[in-house]
Amino acid sequence: MKTTVITDQEREKALATIKKPEVIERQKLNVRYHVEDFDVSDRPRRFLEAFAAILKHSNYKMVLDHFIRMTARCSRCAVACHIYQATGDPKDIPCYRSGLLLDVYRRHFTLGGMVRGRVTGAGYLTDEKIEEMADSFYNCTACRRCALECPLGLDHGLITHLGRYILSEIGIVPRALVVSVRAQLEGPYHNTSAVPVPALKDTLEFLEDDMFEEKSVRIKFPTDVEGSDYVFFAPVSDYLMEADTLMGIASVFAATGDSWTIGTEDFDAINYGLFYNDRIMERVIKKVDSETRRLNGKRVLIGECGHASRTAKNFLPTFCGGSDSLPVMNILEYTHKVWKEGKLKLNPDVVTEKVAYHDPCNLARNRWIVNQPREVLRSFCRNYVEMTPKGEDNICCGGGGGTVSIDEIRPYRTTIGGKLKADQIRKSGCEILVAPCANCKKQLRELVEDQGLNCRVVGFHDLIYKAIEFDDSLKVEQEEGVDQVKNGQGRPSDGEGK
Amino acid sequence: MESLLHFARGPLFRFCLMIMLLGLARILFLDLWEAYRAYRRAGDKKMPWRLIVRRSLEWAFPVKRVSRNPQLYSIASILFHIGLIVVPVFLFAHIGLWKKAVGISWPALPFRWALWLTISTMCFAAVLLIERLFVKSIHSLSRGQDYFWLVLLLFPFITGFVCANLNISAGLYRFLMLVHVLSGDLIFLLIPFTKIAHCVLAPFSQIVDALAWKFPPATDQEIVETLYRFK
Repeated sequence: MKTTVITDQEREKALATIKKPEVIERQKLNVRYHVEDFDVSDRPRRFLEAFAAILKHSNYKMVLDHFIRMTARCSRCAVACHIYQATGDPKDIPCYRSGLLLDVYRRHFTLGGMVRGRVTGAGYLTDEKIEEMADSFYNCTACRRCALECPLGLDHGLITHLGRYILSEIGIVPRALVVSVRAQLEGPYHNTSAVPVPALKDTLEFLEDDMFEEKSVRIKFPTDVEGSDYVFFAPVSDYLMEADTLMGIASVFAATGDSWTIGTEDFDAINYGLFYNDRIMERVIKKVDSETRRLNGKRVLIGECGHASRTAKNFLPTFCGGSDSLPVMNILEYTHKVWKEGKLKLNPDVVTEKVAYHDPCNLARNRWIVNQPREVLRSFCRNYVEMTPKGEDNICCGGGGGTVSIDEIRPYRTTIGGKLKADQIRKSGCEILVAPCANCKKQLRELVEDQGLNCRVVGFHDLIYKAIEFDDSLKVEQEEGVDQVKNGQGRPSDGEGK
Repeated sequence: MESLLHFARGPLFRFCLMIMLLGLARILFLDLWEAYRAYRRAGDKKMPWRLIVRRSLEWAFPVKRVSRNPQLYSIASILFHIGLIVVPVFLFAHIGLWKKAVGISWPALPFRWALWLTISTMCFAAVLLIERLFVKSIHSLSRGQDYFWLVLLLFPFITGFVCANLNISAGLYRFLMLVHVLSGDLIFLLIPFTKIAHCVLAPFSQIVDALAWKFPPATDQEIVETLYRFK
């Protein structure tokens, strides 16, 4: 699928910066996102020191050596990149972007590069090059679609990941990300949105009441239940904005009767470390592990969130015990499993609109979760349509790699980043777009608004909640239920797991 | 010129071949050794072998990839690579030289096939060169060595084609044959030191990619300490 290059007017709007000139001057950094003040002195030296430290204690050297030995610059990745397709700017070609960092590595960390650099006196890392990297690595959404198209297997998403990691070590990181992480790691409430536990519990009780009114079933959000099969971590934004998603998930557990719980010490799945710093990622993932172990849970269950799922699935074994680490499951896998076992009844007459499914890159790119949600959706959405390309080859929503959290670049995200996705959505003609990822949902809703698309963006479990039907044995007469609530029997106690 | 040709076909060829083989063996060893070390250090040693094998095979036999954009570039590149590998190795005249130089031989390609493969390789090299020159995305990325290699690879094909198929004077034949052999020697000599190293490294790319995301555990404190030492 291809899109057209944006007009000059759109370019101007998308690339406009809202930063004040004095801030740019003070930070000596002209990028569109806000950055907290940092030490601007001797930046190239500090960049190289950070690079050296990271190389020493990581496996990145292996991959950088492999890439610089054979990069062929064929530009096949250009056609796979949604950013380049929208801008037509050669600086947005993934291979060019990776070249920025590979050139630094070649020049400063290989013998040939150092000798050539000494002889020619060229290629030194400069402030201008750092600024270009700071801009370029946050234009990329790290969706890794280009890696599929590279005949030599260069993973440009990994280079973006490493580039951001090094930049963050010298203080160049979007403020939106670092503020959230600070709240999660150092704040009193241990989550990125600083939601206090009493507020969380209030929200859950409110949702339980809502579900009882709508479904006549006492569906619970168990908290701090020890020994549960699943310890559930949702992106904390779901508790603020995605009530239907949460109610859908709780409904699935109500139908299956499996034990699950939400830990109140750490309940946020979000791990922005994936977007800018491995050390941060390690610290956040360890919190997920320790909370699950505190509750003596058997599995980590991640809600509708692509990056959090990938982080937990891929890096919990890395940082928390290798093959002895806790098993990780995404909620889509769980729902698909219980649906296959015949534990879910989904009414096919409820969702009649044209429904399409958007693959979050972090779930689909490695073919982890592709067919499972589709099988479930097809079973009860009569009017299900596919967008192409899909699955492993899906098109990024335009807000990947943490860029969706950077509100000041919204015009960039919806004019450039999401242009190809918008074309794809328009072409599908869907009325409901299912996106099982908090970041994708936010970006797609902004895209719908800014690009004037005629569809509604929902989570996967939002539709499950609409269509799910319960056995009569689970149903409670409304009045009886209300009486029970009045008598203190209707609401689940926090200690109940089932 | 005859003695020069003899030298280029004999000792120089063997020297260049040896440099190529040793050079490729060196980078392959370094690559795999680093991959092994990365695997040893990784906190999570579970590798997605099915995905690795599947993606490696997809690129080893890129039939599925041809239909994708950019089609012309994909087709030209694939057919160019086929000619580039098959013609030098399976041409009847080359097999005699291989036998003379390294003492082994194998079945040859029929002459007509070799002829058409040579022509197609030259044509597709020209297509790739034109694309590098005139397609904006490829042109903007191209370095000197990308043009140099396409031109260098064309030399032995053009000279070999002319010598084998056209009626030319003996003097010109000897000159073109010398260019043919010397350019072939130069290609062998340069392979391990340039992007053409992908001829041995590319099959391992999917393993390297998968390993790249297998981080060592507990490096947080170590990196902080190293950075602190710099200050």
